[in-house]
Amino acid sequence: MKKIRKRGNILTKNIIFIVLNLAFLTILLLFLFSKTGSAAVLEEKYTKQIAFMVDAAEPGMIIHLNMEDAIEKAVKEGINPSNIVSINGNVITVKLSGKGSNPKSSYSFFNDVKVDANFDTLNKKEYYFVISEK
Amino acid sequence: MNKIGTEKIISIYWFVILFIVAAAIVYMTASFYGKPYDTRQIEVELLSDKAADCISYAGFLREGVLTQGFNDNFLETCDINFGAEDSYGWTDESEYFLQINFYDFDSYQDASQNSLFEVSAGNQKLKDFCQLKGKSFPICLERRFYTLDKDGEKYIVKINSAVKKIEKNSQ
Repeated sequence: MKKIRKRGNILTKNIIFIVLNLAFLTILLLFLFSKTGSAAVLEEKYTKQIAFMVDAAEPGMIIHLNMEDAIEKAVKEGINPSNIVSINGNVITVKLSGKGSNPKSSYSFFNDVKVDANFDTLNKKEYYFVISEK
Repeated sequence: MNKIGTEKIISIYWFVILFIVAAAIVYMTASFYGKPYDTRQIEVELLSDKAADCISYAGFLREGVLTQGFNDNFLETCDINFGAEDSYGWTDESEYFLQINFYDFDSYQDASQNSLFEVSAGNQKLKDFCQLKGKSFPICLERRFYTLDKDGEKYIVKINSAVKKIEKNSQ
């Protein structure tokens, strides 16, 4: 009888140990994923990407940019997808979260052209930028 | 041997090691994603390309490039806007610098000699930092190319460009 109880204790200990380890690793992975896909990181990524796209563009071009991950994030945060990208003069701003203001979410471009940012309402994954002369 | 006692000690050490590893991963991730992407090298290359496209096309200098009028209205003619967003005092001083020197191809030896014609725009102070390397200095780029004018005169064109924007790229 004693022997059976002892084996049972060892098994319970092992299960608790494994469960704790798994819980620990899960929390760690969740932290990593939350950091890599955070609104602040995506805002900076897309702001700079759009600014350099415009810098390299010529008037007459229409550029499509897949922003699926950013659009999903914005919708979760309650932001209207049409308001994610805004352009004021030569400054691009990408807003994916309603919390405070992120200084890295805006970036200027030096190409002196007129840029219109439009949310693609058909596939709901893209933004397209119409480049024209000022 | 006290087997249960040993197992407990091993288990405590195991969790201590796990916490150390987790703390290191959290620290590295937070410091990596907390810093901005340094994209100034791309930006300075784009600026240099833009200037080159403006002064030369298909190997020939564009009309009116070697004139004082071009120098006076350089930014407008080339569709370049050095304005920046109103943060970190970027509107007080330009975050860009661009200098273009034209040399006679036949007598050209090195860039230290006087150029035939020079065009520059932006924050002149940035040029002084181009010799220095480091995260808190502007990123600079020097490019040279050969071109002809409509009369067949040969030139070496040197483009120096610099982008500062330190606060949003390397802090």
